[in-house]
Amino acid sequence: MTDKKTIFVCQGTGCVSGGSNAVYEALKAEVARNKLDDVEVDFTGCHGFCEQGPNVVIEPEGIFYTHVGPDDATDIISSHLIEGKPIERLFYTDPKSGEKIPLYSDINFYKQQQRVVLRNCGHINPEKIEHYLARDGYRALQKALLSMKPEEVIEEMKSSGLRGRGGAGFPTGRKWEFCRNVPATKRYVICNADEGDPGAFMDRSILEADPHSIIEGLTIAGYAMGADEGYVYVRAEYPLAVKRFTIALRQAHEKGFLGENILGSGFSFTIHVKEGAGAFVCGEETALMASIEGKRGMPRPRPPFPAQSGLDGKPSNINNAKTLATVPAIIDKGADWFAGIGTEKSHGTAVFALTGKVANSGLVEVPMGTPLSKVIFDIGGGIPRGKRFKAVQTGGPSGGCIPARFIDTPVEYDSLAQLGSIMGSGGMVVLDENTCMVEVARYFLSFTQDESCGKCVPCRMGTRQMLQILTRITEGRGRMKDLEQLQEIARTVKECSLCGLGQTCPNPVLTTLNYFMDEYEAHIKEKQCPAAVCDSLMISPCQHTCPAGINIPKYVAHIAAGEYLEAISTIRQRNPFAAICGRICHHPCEGKCRRGELDAPVSIRLLKRFAADWYAEHLNELPPPQPFARTRKETVAVVGAGPTGLSCAYFLASIGYGVTVFEALPVGGGMLSVAIPEFRLPQAVIDQDIDYIIRSGVEIRYNTPVNMNFSIDDLFKKEGFKAVFVAAGAQRSQRIGIPGELEDLEGFHYGLRFLRDIKVGKHIDLGKRVAVIGGGNVALDTGRTALRMGADAVTIFYRRSREEMPVTEVEYREAVEEGIDIRFLTSPTRIVNNHWKVSGLQCVRMELGEMDHSGRRRPIVIPDSDFFAEADTVIAAVGQAPDLSFLPADSALERTRWETLAVDSNTLSTNVPGVFAGGDFVSGPGMVVNAIAAGRRGALAIDKYIKGDTSSVEMYDLKSEVIIEATTEVEEETWEAQPRIEVPTLPPQDRKKSFYEIELGFNAQQAQIEAKRCLRCDLER
Amino acid sequence: MAETKEITSSELKRIRDIIDAHSGQKWSLIPLLQQIQEEVGYIPPQSIEPIAHALELFPAQVQGVISFYTQLYTCPQGKKVVRVCRGTACHVRGGKTILKLVKQNLGIEEGQTTPDYEYTLETVACIGVCALAPNMVIGNTTYGHMNPKKVSLLFADRERGEEHD
Repeated sequence: MTDKKTIFVCQGTGCVSGGSNAVYEALKAEVARNKLDDVEVDFTGCHGFCEQGPNVVIEPEGIFYTHVGPDDATDIISSHLIEGKPIERLFYTDPKSGEKIPLYSDINFYKQQQRVVLRNCGHINPEKIEHYLARDGYRALQKALLSMKPEEVIEEMKSSGLRGRGGAGFPTGRKWEFCRNVPATKRYVICNADEGDPGAFMDRSILEADPHSIIEGLTIAGYAMGADEGYVYVRAEYPLAVKRFTIALRQAHEKGFLGENILGSGFSFTIHVKEGAGAFVCGEETALMASIEGKRGMPRPRPPFPAQSGLDGKPSNINNAKTLATVPAIIDKGADWFAGIGTEKSHGTAVFALTGKVANSGLVEVPMGTPLSKVIFDIGGGIPRGKRFKAVQTGGPSGGCIPARFIDTPVEYDSLAQLGSIMGSGGMVVLDENTCMVEVARYFLSFTQDESCGKCVPCRMGTRQMLQILTRITEGRGRMKDLEQLQEIARTVKECSLCGLGQTCPNPVLTTLNYFMDEYEAHIKEKQCPAAVCDSLMISPCQHTCPAGINIPKYVAHIAAGEYLEAISTIRQRNPFAAICGRICHHPCEGKCRRGELDAPVSIRLLKRFAADWYAEHLNELPPPQPFARTRKETVAVVGAGPTGLSCAYFLASIGYGVTVFEALPVGGGMLSVAIPEFRLPQAVIDQDIDYIIRSGVEIRYNTPVNMNFSIDDLFKKEGFKAVFVAAGAQRSQRIGIPGELEDLEGFHYGLRFLRDIKVGKHIDLGKRVAVIGGGNVALDTGRTALRMGADAVTIFYRRSREEMPVTEVEYREAVEEGIDIRFLTSPTRIVNNHWKVSGLQCVRMELGEMDHSGRRRPIVIPDSDFFAEADTVIAAVGQAPDLSFLPADSALERTRWETLAVDSNTLSTNVPGVFAGGDFVSGPGMVVNAIAAGRRGALAIDKYIKGDTSSVEMYDLKSEVIIEATTEVEEETWEAQPRIEVPTLPPQDRKKSFYEIELGFNAQQAQIEAKRCLRCDLER
Repeated sequence: MAETKEITSSELKRIRDIIDAHSGQKWSLIPLLQQIQEEVGYIPPQSIEPIAHALELFPAQVQGVISFYTQLYTCPQGKKVVRVCRGTACHVRGGKTILKLVKQNLGIEEGQTTPDYEYTLETVACIGVCALAPNMVIGNTTYGHMNPKKVSLLFADRERGEEHD
């Protein structure tokens, strides 16, 4: 070996908390053991990529290791440094591509940044001044002291256009000039490192990773303004930063960069460190000075400005730590260089602490004017756990929430201000669909209310009033007129407060009111929290989110306790399709599971399946289900035996009505039976749930279509039903609407019809290559069925990307495992045929454009990207619609523009008294659990109608007796998260040619362990 | 809630020394208070008058400063101060659930100390380790990426809260 290598272990606060001290010691021991003279082990401050920590960098090649533990030391030394083989398992994994990336410089997170303020962070040992010097440290100080007059330094700052990085963005050069121009014999310069904004940690990182840059910047500032004393005010919460900075001060003194007659220039300067004591308002300059003087840190009115009368009544200048860290770079490289970065009005770079619901959390520095989307999606890697982006909160408690549709806004002082937010200290918290915007506003207000010093009335009273109103709304006690009042108070506080805290603290309220009014209204009018965050409005987030409102914590607790019959009964109180939903429900409940924020959500769906399967297996030993008692003389007819119709019938029977379901086909289950392939949902399972519904007292007449010969009218007049519920589903395939889409073309099919034909055993000749158009459940099911029917290659063409696909992760993964080729961002433009036989698809490539209201990017065509894809069979699966053709043309039932029945959204009643309609038939193709909810809504509405009750339908969460919590045992001594139990599945090679069910379900032991992972949110109230 | 602990004479002596060291010094009230707290864990109320005297302030001014800053206490704290972060990043990443679990494990509410003076539970506005959210600090050690299992392990030596009385 020739070159000397250095192993840098990150020792920022983030990595230290992950155990990087032990990694450092282990590496040192390992180097010593192997007697490697040409390998040095050293440490650095924060790299800014704390999420991946502890981080280790091997220089000079720049290999970047993530999540390193002490046990990895042996491998790093023996494999990498001795044998020259870098260790792949420690490489960074790109969250989007899953690719392993060895080099620091190739990682998207770093590649797309431009680091000026953070130029040295992670590259030097902050406790060694030599490292700082080796990267041209203190060169700017020499230049300023030895070759520039103070006025020239100020001139250089002015022409650089640097604006204060603390948030307000006042031009730094002008601020310095004011201070210098006040006649005085004593002046102070102060560095504000009281980084109190929750969600911001760049000042901490600079102090920990590059303390000399602040010393150098503050000293240059002192020289420019004629100050001989400087103060650095640091938060007490940052002990490591204080320690490193104090070491740096000592070294700077020793080397003559501080103290008397610096570098022989005749200029003398000293720096003191002051630790805060826990008061957010001390970040305000006049409060900060009061705190340095040992007083209560309360702001005072300005003027006089600190430049006139500051610390101890002397002219003083306060700059943010980031501003001062930028100063040496500007003096060294020149104002023109700096002014060349960024936009016309905002020069240089912006540093953000990117946190919250984002894959790559950390410190990000980009040129001013970079779009938010680039910061969040390209550098930040997007939203983790497959969630949807909702908003980004910039500027901490003083900032605002910017919604998805403004995601392409360039980041600079003025553009953010236009959206009602601010740059602030640079906090950037990403919020996803599981964040409640009302609650976020309340959270920030509770912070500012707490931190308001109480000196001026608007802030003291206003924050309290706003907090009270917001709290009331999150607790479901809000009134619509609260919103007006909130606006009014917010404006008053903004305009009349004494200091920045009060002037900016209404921003979170005003922006959420402006952009997320729908969420405020949901809380007030419907007592619903769409993100399932506000505790007072619900029993548990899972139950609140379940469209059917199943008491999930209760049945999960029953499973944990081994009470399986009670578990299945609990499910059936709200959902008669336990076995079906246990397999194919898209489980929105799991998306809101609180445990999911911490490791992985509880497998609620599979627990439901376990309970249902247990019931089926023990059917013969259990007492037979008793039909619901018939307590009402009236009877109700239901049209269609799909999930909506059967649910409606089931709940009507549970209330006590006699119910008859009319079904055109010889089987029940609707779409479940005709479209969902056997390998996802076996017919036996469907039969099992339907059998239970029949045993509960519902009569089903198969092969009995309602049509011209046997009309809805007849149901009332001839059969004597008091009400009719129409749930005929959405079973008509939609056309794509492209040239060549001819129904009698050989080799062309519609997805739904194709699935139905295969299910009834029809043979369809597919040829070798099958192309499927679409991106939903039907498209995937079609493709996977085609594979099982003998197709060699199945390609799915979808015009959007994976993120927009409305299918569950399990479905997607299984399809890919089976070998289905999914081409994203590809849109067919024409179906090509050869003598009336399909020969292929003409396609164009798409790219994602602007984000729409729902946070999905619109696909747009890339010009000149045409290509041809050969295919023997083309199957279109782009959606389904209700088929109203069975209704007589002269039917009195009112229709909508979209050829569906017009119904009241609350009661599902049509314009004809006694006729109700719901499910896919009314709202278009949806998820099965929504269909079940619609059926229940219909049942409740019909009951009210028959009883003559005209009030609206209310479907509240159900709370029943509390079950004692099953204690969770800690099995092993590891700090790893306790992930959910993986469900066994058939291996992909066994699946391709068979229709056997893929997912195998939990056994009793697995189910109990999984159920015990539940955090029991229901017990909190 | 814990009862007031008697202050020992050696503690009083150390407090006296700290006060003497700062006597008459400009702007030294906050560092002095921090040092006393570092030494004995809190600022005993009986030390307020001597402090005021030494720095030529009114006792009310000293009291006013103590009550203004959240990290200055006049009550004894537990041996280990547990601070659960309630910063924005932690808040949106499940910090609330972590706080709930810690409360369950220690059997105390925010701002309380366990009867054996082992733990004091507090929340903190932000500790600046947002990339590892949700976070928690015990003493001077930061624990990132908290999850339910980590909470149970950190307090594994303690009986479950409700049984601890």
